[in-house]
Amino acid sequence: MRIAVVGVFAVTIFCVLFFRLWALQVISGQTYLEDARNNQVRTFRAPAQRGSIIDRHGNVLVSNVPSTVAQLWPAALDQLTPERREATLRRVARLLQVPYRRIERDLEKRKDDLLTPITVKNDVPDAKVNYLLEHQNDFPGVQISQGSLRHYDQGSIAAQVLGYVGEISQEQVDARKKAGYAPGDRIGQTGVEATYDMYLRGRPGIGRVYVDALGRVKSAREYEQLPEAGDNVRLTLDAGLQKTAEEALDYGIRIAHDDGRWAADGGALIAMDPNTGEILALASNPSFDPSIYVGRVKQGNLNRLGKSSQNHPTLDRAVSGVYPPGSTFKPITALAALEEGMVAPDELIQCTGKEVVDGQTFTNWDPYANEPMTMTTALAASCDTYFYQLGLRFYERKDSPLQKWARKMGFGAPTGVDIGPEEKGLVPTPNWRRRYFKTEIDKIWTSGDSVQLAIGQGDVLVTPLQMTRLYAMIASGGKLVEPHIVKSVEEPGNQGQPPVVLRPYAPKPPKDVRLDPGALRVVQEGLYNATHASYGTSSGIFGAFPIEIAGKTGTAEKFVRLPGYQGLQDQAWWCGYGPYGKPKLVVCALIENGGHGGVAAAPAALKVFEKYFKVDPNSYVSAVKNSD
Amino acid sequence: MATRALPRAQARSALGTEVGAFLRHIDYLLLLAVGGVIAYGLWVLSAVTRNDIPGDSGYYLFRQEIYVAFGVLVLAVFTAVNPDVFRRYKRVLYGLAIFLLLIVFPLAENVRGSQRWIAFGSFNFQPSELGKVLLILFLAGFLADRSRRVGEWRVTWSVVGLAAIPIVLVFEEPDFGSALIYGCAAAAVLLFGGLPWKQLGILAALAALISLSMLWFLPAAGVDVLDQYQKDRLIGFVHPDVDPRGTTYNITQSITAVGSGGYDGRGVAGATQTNLDFLPEHNTDFIFSSLAEQRGFLGAAILLLLYALIAWRGIKIVAVAPSLFMAATAGAIVFTFLVQIFINVGMTIGIAPVTGIPLPFVSFGGSSMITTLAMIGLLEAIHVRGKLAGYK
Repeated sequence: MRIAVVGVFAVTIFCVLFFRLWALQVISGQTYLEDARNNQVRTFRAPAQRGSIIDRHGNVLVSNVPSTVAQLWPAALDQLTPERREATLRRVARLLQVPYRRIERDLEKRKDDLLTPITVKNDVPDAKVNYLLEHQNDFPGVQISQGSLRHYDQGSIAAQVLGYVGEISQEQVDARKKAGYAPGDRIGQTGVEATYDMYLRGRPGIGRVYVDALGRVKSAREYEQLPEAGDNVRLTLDAGLQKTAEEALDYGIRIAHDDGRWAADGGALIAMDPNTGEILALASNPSFDPSIYVGRVKQGNLNRLGKSSQNHPTLDRAVSGVYPPGSTFKPITALAALEEGMVAPDELIQCTGKEVVDGQTFTNWDPYANEPMTMTTALAASCDTYFYQLGLRFYERKDSPLQKWARKMGFGAPTGVDIGPEEKGLVPTPNWRRRYFKTEIDKIWTSGDSVQLAIGQGDVLVTPLQMTRLYAMIASGGKLVEPHIVKSVEEPGNQGQPPVVLRPYAPKPPKDVRLDPGALRVVQEGLYNATHASYGTSSGIFGAFPIEIAGKTGTAEKFVRLPGYQGLQDQAWWCGYGPYGKPKLVVCALIENGGHGGVAAAPAALKVFEKYFKVDPNSYVSAVKNSD
Repeated sequence: MATRALPRAQARSALGTEVGAFLRHIDYLLLLAVGGVIAYGLWVLSAVTRNDIPGDSGYYLFRQEIYVAFGVLVLAVFTAVNPDVFRRYKRVLYGLAIFLLLIVFPLAENVRGSQRWIAFGSFNFQPSELGKVLLILFLAGFLADRSRRVGEWRVTWSVVGLAAIPIVLVFEEPDFGSALIYGCAAAAVLLFGGLPWKQLGILAALAALISLSMLWFLPAAGVDVLDQYQKDRLIGFVHPDVDPRGTTYNITQSITAVGSGGYDGRGVAGATQTNLDFLPEHNTDFIFSSLAEQRGFLGAAILLLLYALIAWRGIKIVAVAPSLFMAATAGAIVFTFLVQIFINVGMTIGIAPVTGIPLPFVSFGGSSMITTLAMIGLLEAIHVRGKLAGYK
């Protein structure tokens, strides 16, 4: 009887086991087979090779270099005893010279995802790779793989224009999920890298790989979608001219220092084709080495860039810096006055040493001046008091015609250039004063405001790029071009074939400002005289230059705050173009706190003309003159 | 039924005749079945562990073969020795069992949160395995000595109390699986020792009450007898989907492995669950999953049929046992063997809790292999004595 009980028990046990096995293996075997297959499959994103950035002649500015990457498998580390794990991580930290605490922090961040490797170091030197491979037992969970890094072939030139690539932030992922961006992607964060990211990035590969329980890869990668390399972006920039422009800025700052301008510490210089808006050089000083953003960014380097003593090297002053334009603004006043019929070109106005307006005294930069001037002469000599008179005439009008013309010429609005973020500057109006200021006395637009605006002082603010476009407009006969930095998106040609242009940059057609050709000619002559007449403000520099250059100096007072100093400092400007009558290049130079435009900015601009027109500096005489 | 008439006296004969009769009465079908399971187990183990130790595909197989060789010797000794010798020295055996289970605590290394193994050089000895045989022999002897008083509550409680000491000890290692097996061994001794059904029923009800209270009532009252991981494992098999990468990870992976084997298996190279280490402990506790993955339903069924053959022969031996002591011993051996198979295989296919019990003759491990062969030796010894005494 009791034996029978055990017998029944045995029969039951085996029946249950058989039944269950049959159910699992034979009836639902296919389902579990799928499960087992999926178990070992991980999908992965393989970043595509990023496109290169080249200059207008095809010189490579940014490319990629292969890099050896050391990675950690969190799942494999998880299998170790705490002591062994720590010993391993400390060994890794010592060998790769990475802080141990940072590795721990990265692992902690990824503790919910043990199957994705963590990059510890990019660009591991071969000797260390070999050491790692030879001592694999000492480094459980460490693997070597191949990646690619951004490489700046021309060193640090055009750093602000090119921008940098960095890991996508959560906000960026949220904003661009539809465009196929995913966490972990590296995307362009500033400059051309950011604006043209969608072309440069290519399409990441999506594939599957078989892994074991620790996430170690056990098979070749199978792609469902192969990574597609990004397209190249060809800039309008000329690498040679860009280099010259950056050196010229340094040169201008040096001259300013020699001239006693201790605070001169930065600037911008733009060279542009006045007919098309193609930017040939765009320099901003101080600059930085973009390669500090490559691979694992060192926080120390970023902190150094952000220090106030470094004067914001990542800021692109050409598009994001705003300054009072000073005398370089005078062509606008002249054109507006002529267009509005408020002055005749040959009307003589007395240029004096100072002008008293409603009890307030406004001085001329040359206190000894005392002669009647036509508009051409006033522009060339940059007579402030002449323009104060025009300012007073504008003050009589209630519809702010000067501001209206300034806006027509593109001020107070972004130029639409394809790198950013772009500042739009400020064209002050009576309305703006009322809105902007708090106290009743400040809200009133006075005659002094009109007088100041006429010579580009007071509240008016412009970007160097806006000024460049203004002078391009004057040079090209009244057409407002759209400045741009990219020429085309293209695919490299196969084996010596020329590259295939996928998308040429299509700028908006230049906007006709509808200026009276006569008025324009007066201003052009004024600018020509400024660089050629004996009384011209930069004739000493450009007068003997073999190519005819026309341009205007500017010395704009700006209230600046510097470490340990605040007060009024002169911003040195020079904007102009050449050859006169058949313009091919417009250049605008700005030296922050550089003093006189004719001293610091004009010689910097000259360097760029020399390079562009291939003029030997020793073939003519150029002399700095202390003027406006 | 449990108490039989005394065996008829046997005529003494020459030594040669005696050995001949002894050999004639060995249950060769049982030996064949055991040999078959061991051979099958070695084949399974070699296929499952082929890639486990890089550069030494035969690492586990070689060691397991040594254990088998040693175990066969032990089997021979246990067959030859009259089980009544163990009955005579049952107190020594019990003392030895308690001693071994006690020295685990200061000596054993902590492996995955549990102290079960004592290292002898490269061999890890697991006292709870040996303790299983010792406990069965002692309890059967203890009960047989009081055969006339079986059914008195005093005796029953003594058996329960004496069994409880080693159960609590292995429970504290903690080795929940062995505690469960010990409990089953004690129950089987009582069953085949002739305990009245009423008492068996009461004890079963008590056991159920105790397990329930450990799992639910006492924790609710703030007393935790079981560690959380044990509770998770015990209850986890009921809901394997709750936490697929955590506690029930093993169950899910094991079921996937078994299921993916299908009718005729994925082969050695294609068994990804085993080869890629998704299946934990696939050379010991979860070896059945690996077998099922590699060889499919067919391969698993062959093993189960061989086990069934052993169980059938075992039950036959209980029937021919010449004394209460031997009947209780044989019955407890067969019963624990069955429970062990059910819990191990059941655990891999999600119908029993994960407790870490080895699969007899197949899981890698010397203690289990040698102990199980010793138990087969005991069964053979009982069979021979029963046959010699004329039981059919």
